Formats: sequence, structure tokens, C-alpha cells
Amino acid sequence: MTFDAIVVGSGMSGGWAAKELAERGLKVLVLERGKSLEHGADYTDGLSPWELHQYGMVSENEADAEYPVQSQCYAFSAATKHLWVKDSDHPYTTPPDRPFLWIRGYHLGGRSIMWARQSYRMSEMDFEANKKDGHGVDWPIRYADMASWYDHVETFAGISGEANGLDHLPDGKFLPPMALTPPEAEFGRKVEAAFPTRRLITGRCAHLTAPTKEHEELGRSACQYRSLCERGCSFGAYFSSLSATLPAAQRTKNVTIVTDAIVHSVVQDPKTGKATGVRVIDRNTKAGRTYDARMVFLCASTLGTAQVMLNSRSAEDPRGIANRSDQVGRNLIDHLSGLGASGIYPGHADIYHRGRRPNGFYIPRYRNVTEPADGYVRGYGFQGRILRDGWQRGMSEAGVGADLKARLRKPGPWRVSLSGFGEMLPRPENRITLSETNTDKWGIPVPHIDVSLGPNEHAMIAQVGSDARAMLELAGCTDIEVRKHYGGVGLGIHEMGTARMGHDPNTSVVNRYNQAHDVPNLFVTDGASMSSSGCQNPSLTYMALSARAAHHAAAFLKEGKI
Amino acid sequence: MPTSHTAFAADRRAILRSAILLVGGIAIAPELLAATGPTFFSPSERAQLDLLCETMIPTTDTPGAIAAGVPAFLDTLMANWASPKSRAHIQGVIASLARAAEADTGKPLAALSAAERADWLARRDSALLAAKDPAYRQFKQLVLTGYYYSEAGATQELRYELVPGAWEPSIPVTADTRSWAA
Repeated sequence: MTFDAIVVGSGMSGGWAAKELAERGLKVLVLERGKSLEHGADYTDGLSPWELHQYGMVSENEADAEYPVQSQCYAFSAATKHLWVKDSDHPYTTPPDRPFLWIRGYHLGGRSIMWARQSYRMSEMDFEANKKDGHGVDWPIRYADMASWYDHVETFAGISGEANGLDHLPDGKFLPPMALTPPEAEFGRKVEAAFPTRRLITGRCAHLTAPTKEHEELGRSACQYRSLCERGCSFGAYFSSLSATLPAAQRTKNVTIVTDAIVHSVVQDPKTGKATGVRVIDRNTKAGRTYDARMVFLCASTLGTAQVMLNSRSAEDPRGIANRSDQVGRNLIDHLSGLGASGIYPGHADIYHRGRRPNGFYIPRYRNVTEPADGYVRGYGFQGRILRDGWQRGMSEAGVGADLKARLRKPGPWRVSLSGFGEMLPRPENRITLSETNTDKWGIPVPHIDVSLGPNEHAMIAQVGSDARAMLELAGCTDIEVRKHYGGVGLGIHEMGTARMGHDPNTSVVNRYNQAHDVPNLFVTDGASMSSSGCQNPSLTYMALSARAAHHAAAFLKEGKI
Repeated sequence: MPTSHTAFAADRRAILRSAILLVGGIAIAPELLAATGPTFFSPSERAQLDLLCETMIPTTDTPGAIAAGVPAFLDTLMANWASPKSRAHIQGVIASLARAAEADTGKPLAALSAAERADWLARRDSALLAAKDPAYRQFKQLVLTGYYYSEAGATQELRYELVPGAWEPSIPVTADTRSWAA
């Protein structure tokens, strides 16, 4: 049978594309390269620490041999191991002196199961940035093109937050915010007193603090403040493909989901130039097959999508499909992360907190907005929290015996942590290519990822550290430790840019509708389409882009334009 | 207060029986390993480990390290979890602490009273942490993890709520306040 649309990938972007296309009456096939994952049944969120295998500690030899990259992610543990790829099964190469840490989960729902759920809009400033400072290509859309789509996805997903009235971090359709701790609120007042244009706001996160009827109809319920999120949430309290978009898509009866189907390439008709479907390798049997459709949505994640496009080679397009510009695979961006500072926050010994808030505070970008920057363009924001230390402090403090127990029985000092997320510039030399000689066990060429930081990033990294220290010092913090960048790109887990959006078919891959310039019935709506990254967590923007693109694609199909 | 390894072992068996009844399911596996003897450590290493763990986290008004299954946890970790480097660290710490105890006090670890062991370990702990001894730091990290993530450590010594159901950003600290285990 021929589907109206094939959606490659079932994660953050694919779930949205499937839902929006199916709700418009299209017959949709969702292809997921990984295993099936059942909402609830396959989660480990019902286990207490002592019920986890080895209390959550993945064996060192296993981590080294099978998960050398994934095990560097904060969310990797015995409770989540089944949600990360075995690096040993999914090889890629990098230059020896430029590691790239590719954090991946191949299963239904993709990384929407393990994401950190912070949800911020991009602003006019972000969509204008490339044009203004000349890095990358101009976004062919502006905030006004996106605002109603942000409204749309926020309302459905459920985003908790507060309206702050900031032009460069636009307000959205928010569920009630999660409260700050008194030290967080006080720290915010101190920062704002010292730096009048900086703001400390409650984090905006994709959690149901007050579910609506629309959420409840999908079986979702309110956040229980467990912070076991990366194990999956049986309450459906945070947004994921499995809790929200895929069930909504399936409700239409227009969706077929096939797992264990690794997309090898997009099939293109040389006569019409259009995509006719995709070639798939069965993950288990390694048998090949083809699915036909009237259009194809690539939502396989930034690097996965680029891999499929580059591997879709033909006599007409030896560089891969929709790659006249030679920009497919280039301009790979991640957010600078692993930066910031921590320290002991003074006072407040008489209060504690209860529950585990899956969220923190946010200090929106101010560099090159209201304050100048020290020799670089763009900027960074900080995620942070101030909570009391637990027993873990005892591991590095002297003390044994009954005294140790008595001390650790009580909550420790309040500890502040600030984590900077910085914008990385799109540069064509930062790219993914495919090996000419090596293939993985499914016969697909092994990716080579070559990314380095430039002078703009290095200058920014230095100021992230000095700003974090200055804010902690002014608040009277002690034992301040500044964290430098980890060195390897990828651990921001915000890959973007490998099929960038732009006006010009000669310098960009997709147009303002996420439609390939060269192949009118091929759409790329995941992070690959991002012309620049902002410094905000990007998933909310992928959601809005996917919903928007699906809306237009369905209309184009109906009108016979593609 | 039991001071010999034999007494500790008897205690442990008694506590294990009740722990199996109380906990059931997943928690049984490491406890059974302990009940049937060490799988990784030699009997003498295990005896020293029991003493060291219980000295670091003694039985007070709440269970100590042995009752919480910490030595058994370490035994399981060494058998199933540890890299060769970690094994060498932990076995090295056990051996070097046992040697140091005798050198520092003139008596083997097992011959010291609980109070003497506590005083001696406090001095060693302080010195080894000040020296940033990596093997000892890992040892202490694993002992504390094994205790505070155990059911006894997390729910009797500290507090743990699987489903808090609410976020309260500020509650008063009282004499009864216990730290959250996670």
C-alpha cells in the first residue's frame, strides 16, 4: 500500500509530525529504528533505590565495553540502561583529537523519554541573529511565524512556567509554575539587585502541574514530584511521544507504527525528482524492504536525518538527496554545556524541602542583550537550583562511626549550582560525513563526526565561568567551584543544523516550511533544520516546527502541489 | 555489643533472615550471597570488611552497615560490577587498613574493642581523605552508597518517598527532621 506520509523517527519531532498529519486525515506510517517501548510497562519508575540492580550502578566493565559514550550522560544508570544505545553496536568515528559524544536512544519515543524537559521559546532576537551578525544563513522565518505554533504545542504538551514579560524569552501558554525554594528566590533578588537587567525565573518544563481535560483524555495525570523522569513516567506527567503525541496520533486510526525498521535511505524517482518512499533494513532479520508514500518526513534526529540523507545517493544526486547545496551534514551545532559553578549558599538552616522537583530556576541570556559580551557574539543562559545537600557529602568529608551517621542524618548546607548553556555558531566545517569503506552491522555506512569549537565559543566559555563565579560570590556563597567545558562536544545533547533552513537553495537544504528545496515532498522537521541554535533548550522549537510543517505539508498535498 | 567476627556473623544471619522476610523480591539476591558465604572476598578479607563497614556505620538506634547488607553489597559489586582497577582498590584498602590497624594500635582489627576501632578508623579516615587517597575515597563512597541506598539506610536512618505527590519548597526543620535518601 502507499501511505500518504512516512514519518522517519518516533521521538520528539516524529511524534508531532505523525499526530498533526494523522489529525488532518492523512494515512501515516511511523518508522522507528529501535525496539518497541510500551508506556508504563517498560518503565522502571516504580523501583526504590534498593530495588535497582546494584543500586543503579552499571557494571564498570560493561559500561566501558558497551556504553563508553552513553555512560557519560548524567541520566545513564542501571534503571535507564535499556534506553541508551550500545555504543558497541552503533559505531561512529571522530578525529582522535576532537571527540564528539553522541548520546542516543533507539526505541519507540526516542529521546523524548529521557529528555530533560526544559522548554523555552526562541525569540525574534534568535531568528534574526544569523542575518544580523552574518554567521550561518538567514532564517526564512521569524518569531511571528512561530508564535501560534508555540501556543499550539505548549497547550497540548503541557508546559509549566510563569509569564515574565521578556522579549528575548517570550511567554507561552503555561500551566502553573513550580515554586522556587526560599534561597532560590533570595538569590534571584540578590542577582537582580547587582545586575538590574538579569532575571532569575522559575524553570519552564514540560510537566503537568495542573492537567487539562485534553491531557487527561490521553491518560496523563499530574506530576508527583518524583524526579525519576528519565526512567519514563507511568503517570504520563511529563511530555513524551509515548505519553502524548503517539497515542493522540493512534486515536485517529490513521497511523501505522513499525518498529525495528532502520531507514537506510529515501527512494527518489529520477524522472520527477520526488521521493517515493524509503528503503528499510529490518533490525532483527537484516532483510531489506521498501515502503511507498506520497511524502516523507525525516524526524530521525539531527545526525540520524543527515545520515539517511547522505546515504540516499543516486546517479543524479551522488552527494545524497536534496543536497545540491552541499550543506547536508554541515553546520552541526550542540549547546556548550558542562560549564558553570557550584558552591554553598549561606543561611536558611531552619528550612528544608519535600518532594523532588524535576525542574529548577533559569537565568535567561543577558550577554549581547542587555549587557555587552567580552569579545564574542550570541550568549548563554543558566539553569540552576539551590537545594540542601544529602548524604552524598559524607563521601568526601572526614568522619566515621556514630558521629558520621548523626551528621548525615540531618540535611546538609544549601548548595547552589549554575549550569551554563551557550550558543554555538553554525560553521560548515563542523560536519557529519559517511565512511566510504566501513559499514555497521546493517550495512549502513558508518558516520564520521568532525566538530570543533571556534574562537567565539572559547571566548564565551571563559565568560560563562567568570559570570557564574561573580553571581555566587555576590550572594555570599563559599566553597565555590567553577566547572570548565568538558572538552568534547555532544554532551549538551542538543545536536542541530545538519539540514539547515534558508531562503536560498544554493546555501540551505530546506525552505521556510521545512520542505527540501530540491525535493518538494521531502520534509525535515527535527533539529537538523535549525539554522541557528539560540541558547535555549531546543525541543519545544522542534515540536513547533514539526507541527507547523505538517500543517503546510498536508495542505500542499491536498492542493496537489507536491 | 558484639566485638568478634563470629558474633557479627551470627547477628548478620539473624538479620538476614528477617531482611528476606521483610524485603522479598529483588533485594534477596545479594543477601543470599552473603548467607551462603562470600563469592569474591576470601573469608579473612570478608571478616575484615565486616569490621570496617560496621565501624564506619555502626548499629545505633538504627541498623548498622552489616544489618543493612553493606559488606554483602560490596561483595556482590566486586564479583559483578568492579573493573580490575576497582577490585584492586577495594582489596588493597581492606588489606592496608588491616595492616595499619595493627601497626597503629599493636592489635589486630578484630582484637580491638568497638570504641578502639572507631577511634582508630576516625584518625585513618581523616588522614586518607586529606591525602586524597583514591582507593580509600572509592571505598568510602561504596560503603556509604551501600548503606544509604539500602532499604534500612534509606527508610530507617533517613527518609525516602517513592511518590512524594507534592513539592513543598520550604518546610520547617525540627528535631525529627531526617535527610532525604534521594
